[in-house]
Amino acid sequence: MGTPNSLLEGENICLSRSGRTILSNVSLRLEEDDFVTLIGPNGAGKSMLLKALLGLEKIDSGVVRKKPNLRLGFVPETINLDPSLPMSVRRFLTLSKGRAPLQDDIVQETSIETLLDVPMTALSGGERQRVLLARALHHKPELLILDEPAQNLDMRGQLNLYALMQKIYERHKIAILMVSHDLHIVMSSTRKVVCLYEHVCCSGEPQAVARDPEFISLFGEDMARLISVYPHDHDHSHDDHDHTHHDHPHHHPESKA
Amino acid sequence: MSLTLLPVISGLALAIIAGPLGCFVVWRRMAYFGDGLGHSALLGIAFGIVFDIMSEISILLVGIGFAFFLVVLRQRKLLAIDTLLGLLAHATLAFGIIAMALMGVGDVDMHDYLLGSLDGVTRTSTAILIIGALAGFALLVRIWPGLILMVTSEDLALAEGVPTKRYEALLMLLMAVLVAVSIQLVGILLITSLLIIPAACARLFAQTPEHMATLAGAIAAISVTMGLSLSSNYALEPGPVIVAVMISVFASALVLGQGLRRP
Repeated sequence: MGTPNSLLEGENICLSRSGRTILSNVSLRLEEDDFVTLIGPNGAGKSMLLKALLGLEKIDSGVVRKKPNLRLGFVPETINLDPSLPMSVRRFLTLSKGRAPLQDDIVQETSIETLLDVPMTALSGGERQRVLLARALHHKPELLILDEPAQNLDMRGQLNLYALMQKIYERHKIAILMVSHDLHIVMSSTRKVVCLYEHVCCSGEPQAVARDPEFISLFGEDMARLISVYPHDHDHSHDDHDHTHHDHPHHHPESKA
Repeated sequence: MSLTLLPVISGLALAIIAGPLGCFVVWRRMAYFGDGLGHSALLGIAFGIVFDIMSEISILLVGIGFAFFLVVLRQRKLLAIDTLLGLLAHATLAFGIIAMALMGVGDVDMHDYLLGSLDGVTRTSTAILIIGALAGFALLVRIWPGLILMVTSEDLALAEGVPTKRYEALLMLLMAVLVAVSIQLVGILLITSLLIIPAACARLFAQTPEHMATLAGAIAAISVTMGLSLSSNYALEPGPVIVAVMISVFASALVLGQGLRRP
């Protein structure tokens, strides 16, 4: 086994599909208390890396090491329920390999009290993400893995979700690995960022990453400049619902492909 | 035990497995698979006659072979699943019919295989059906939580350590068992409706997967027993009568369900 505190570790992961290289020699390590955000342009292999680490995708070479009996919570990018499957939020939260009773504190923390008897298919995007997150937390995970949790949310929804993640990180004292497209939010925090494009281009504090030549070549000068002017003390004000300066429309830096 | 009670007992045994299993057929879109398995049963019956083994066993073996070939062919990813199913189903049906004709099985008997018959119901066949149904039900209950997680999201199930490939295979095996033990009673052509109509009906009212499975079992039990008694009273083939009853239940439920939903 690797280092004592390592929860999940990928070493020199290589993965290709239909002759196209998707990941080459990617190494990533998550320890207790880590909060790592994986960024990178579309098609950079971010989701694939998560899936490789989770064992959902076979890797061509490299090693994935998991702490024995690691309790892992996974929040997939989206969940497409077949309409023929009746599934209330209450039932969904307790879905697991075995039995998992409903936990009121988690329900409250993710503000889904009023949604318990709603069918999963009737939820809005933001509600669905909170429910997915709540279900993952029901397993008391040591490591929470999220694949683009803020996708399809509007600006306020994104800010609320990231604020919630921050709260969960602090309260549950768990490690988090998250894929994110929301550079404007991710780069304004002080969390560790890993920039991926087939290989790990650069990693570290957002301000350092934003000055890295590889980051600049991937996202452009403008993005790098934009990010380095984001103030750091922004970090803890996201949950403030009445912040008026968030109300005017922001320009989304990345158009949906 | 009176011989007229045997079909009713068989029907109830059939219902407890057909209800919940039928839900998976609906959720996982396996209806064509059920149809294909049903068709392959004719080849199974022919093998049973040729090798002089119990038809339940030969049908089960052919059904397992059917599922195996389907899984192998699907891995090549050249042809869509419905094409492969059609190919396998009609191949087994064609060879089954030819084999039966060569062995001199007449039109009348063939008719019974296609649409079901009460004549073949004996103490032995009833016992086999009960054992098959109960074993299937026990297995389904045992792996239920993981199966529901898999149906909800394959990714979540895999990430949380559910052996999805094995579960998938077990679902196919359960269907093969169900077809093998019930085909004599309900017939090759209508076996799938026995699975999907009660589940479809239960969907109209259910809020959770467990609701739906229980309700489907109840609907199947009522329709099968009613269908079988009607069939013996009026000397009709049991398969079509059971399906007719199920469809009536479904139509009433549809009307009732709409009524319930209107504010």
